[in-house]
Amino acid sequence: MNTEIALSVKSINKYFHEPSTFHVLKDISFEVMKGEFTSLIGKSGSGKSTLLYLLSTMDNDYEGEITINGELVTGKTQNKLAAFRNAHIGFVFQFHYLLPEFTALDNVMLPALKLGRKSREEIRHDAMTNLKLLGIEEQAPKQANKLSGGQQQRVAIARALINEPAIIMGDEPTGNLDTKNTDIVFDIFRQLAAERGQTIITVTHDPEFANKSDRVLELSDGELL
Amino acid sequence: MVRQTNLQVALAHLTTRVKQVLVAILSVTFGISMYIFINGFMTGVNDLQADLAFSTLAHIHVYNDLPEDRSNLLEQGAGGSGKLVNIRNPRVIQYTEGIKNAETVVQAISQVPEVTGISIQVNSSVFFRNGATKFNGMLAGVDAAREDELFAISESMVVGSWQALDQRGDGIILGSGLARKLSLKYNDIVMVSTADGVDRNFKIIGIIETTLVSIDDSRAYVSNKAARTLISKNLSYATDIQVNIKDYDAANEVARKIDRLVDFKVESWIEANGQLQAGNELRNYLALAVSFTILLVAGFGIYNIMNMTVNEKIKDIAILKAMGFEGGDIVQIFLTQSLIIGLIGGVVGMVFGGIVSYAINSIPFEIASISHLPMAYRTSDYLSAIGFGLLTTFVAGFLPAKNASKVDPVTIIRG
Repeated sequence: MNTEIALSVKSINKYFHEPSTFHVLKDISFEVMKGEFTSLIGKSGSGKSTLLYLLSTMDNDYEGEITINGELVTGKTQNKLAAFRNAHIGFVFQFHYLLPEFTALDNVMLPALKLGRKSREEIRHDAMTNLKLLGIEEQAPKQANKLSGGQQQRVAIARALINEPAIIMGDEPTGNLDTKNTDIVFDIFRQLAAERGQTIITVTHDPEFANKSDRVLELSDGELL
Repeated sequence: MVRQTNLQVALAHLTTRVKQVLVAILSVTFGISMYIFINGFMTGVNDLQADLAFSTLAHIHVYNDLPEDRSNLLEQGAGGSGKLVNIRNPRVIQYTEGIKNAETVVQAISQVPEVTGISIQVNSSVFFRNGATKFNGMLAGVDAAREDELFAISESMVVGSWQALDQRGDGIILGSGLARKLSLKYNDIVMVSTADGVDRNFKIIGIIETTLVSIDDSRAYVSNKAARTLISKNLSYATDIQVNIKDYDAANEVARKIDRLVDFKVESWIEANGQLQAGNELRNYLALAVSFTILLVAGFGIYNIMNMTVNEKIKDIAILKAMGFEGGDIVQIFLTQSLIIGLIGGVVGMVFGGIVSYAINSIPFEIASISHLPMAYRTSDYLSAIGFGLLTTFVAGFLPAKNASKVDPVTIIRG
C-alpha cells in the first residue's frame, strides 16, 4: 500500500436549507491513501451520497476543506472545477449514464477528447485498451443504448479510467446490477486498486461489496463512525 | 472556435432527432423564403410604380416659376409692432416667361455627372379643333430623340412613327383619347388654336397611347420648332426642361446640385409627387414589419424546439458536466445545433424563396401595361435574409443553451 495521500477531507460541514435547515454532514475529516479501495456505507439519509458529491467537486456548497491529489479544490470556480474533474476524477454512477447516441468507444473517448492532451488516434488506442481490460472490446462499435446493463456499467468504468484519474468515484456502481455483474464490477475495482494503484471511493448499500474492500467508512446521521 | 468534441456532441444530438430538427429547419426555411418573397415583391411593386410614373414624369423638372411674393414691401421696410400696413390690390408680376436660352441651360445641366438625359419642352395650352368640335389640351413641342430617351415614348405609338416628328414641321402626334374625341384618324388634319388667337393646321402623323388616360385625352406632340413658331417665341425658347438621372432616389441631391448651376426653379419628382415617395416608403415599412414578424415566428419555433432538446438531453448535460465539460462547452453544444439548423434552413430558404418569387412572378396580372405580378431579385435581399435568419436562430438558440449550461449535475444524477 502506498503512503501518499490521494484525498484529504478536513472538518466538512454541510447544510440543506430546503425545506428547512438541516445539518447533513457534521464535522467530517478523513484521508484516503493512494491505491486504497474505500467503501462509504450508511443508511438511507445518512449523508453518504451527499459526501460523495462534495468529494466529486460537483457540489461546492459546504464548509471545510477538500484536497485532492495535493490540490485544494475548495473555493475554485465552477469552470475550474469542471476542468479539474475532467483531469483528476472518474465517475461511475448507479445508472451508468452513458450518452445514448454515441458508441461505446466514443463514450469512453469523450473525457479524453475534452481534456485534449493526446491525439485522437492515441485516445482511440487508449480507449480500446481500457475496453479490452474490462473484457468488452467487441462491444466498442455498438451504440451505448444497445448494450446490456452490465456491459454499460463496464463501459462507464472504462470511461472513468480514460484520463488516468487520481480517484475513481462510484455512486452505488453495482446498485442496478445482478449478482454476476456485481461480482465482475467488484473484481475490476479490486484489480484496478491492486494492480494499477488506482484510488477508488464508492458509496454502496451492499454490505458484502463493502466488506470485500480495503477500508469501510460508515456514516450515521451525518457523522463518521 | 467550436471545439471538435462539442461539435461531435452537437451533431449526435441533431442526427438522433431527425424529425424535430427537420421541423425546426422547415420553420427557418419558411421564414427566410417568406422574407425574400415579401421583400422582392414589395421592391418589385415599387420599381413597377416608378416605371409607370417615370413614363411621363421626369426625375427633375426645371422651369421658370413665379418670383417670390415681395408685393408687401412696406411691411419689410417699415413693419413692426403697432403699425398697420395695407397695400391695396398687390400683384406678383412675372417679368420673364419661360426659359429664353434653353441650350445654355441644357449645357450647364449636362455638366452634372449624374444626369443621363435632358429634354427641352415647349408646352402651351391650346384648343384642338376639327370642324365644329373643339377640345382644349396641352401641346408639347419636343425634340423627338431626346424626349424618347427620357420617357421611351416611341414604345407607346399606336400608329405612325415617333421619329417623324423631327422631320415634319407640320406633323402632330395626338393622344388616342384626344383623337377619338375629335373623331380624327391617322393622316387627318387638325387645327390648333393658341390663347393668343393664332390658328394653324397640322397633319396627324401618329397616334399615341400611354397608360395614363388623362394624358391620352389631352396631350399632343409637335416638334420644338413648330411649337415655338406657333406661340411666336425665339429659337432657343423652352417652357420646361426635363432631366433624368442615374438613380431616381437621389433626385433631391442632384436637384440641389443643378440648382446651383441654373437660375430657374429646379424641382425633383420627390418634391412634386410626395405621394409616390410616401407609397414607396409605406410599402417598405410594411415589408419590414411582415418579414420581421415571420422571422420572429421562426425564432420562436427554434426556441421551442431547442428548449425541448435541452429538457430531453438534461441527463446528457449532467453527465457531460460531471465529466468536466464547462458551462461554455454546453452553451457551444446547443448553440451549434441551433446555428446548424439556422444555416441549413437559411440556405434552403434562399433557394425556396427564389423559387416562390419566380412562381409568383409568373402569375398573369393584366392591368394597365403590366402582364405579370412584379418581382425584384436583389442579392441584398438574399444576404440580409440569411443574415437576419442566423441572427434569429442565434438569439433563439442562446437562451435555451444558457439554461442548459446552468443545469446542476448533482440534482439530475442523484435523481
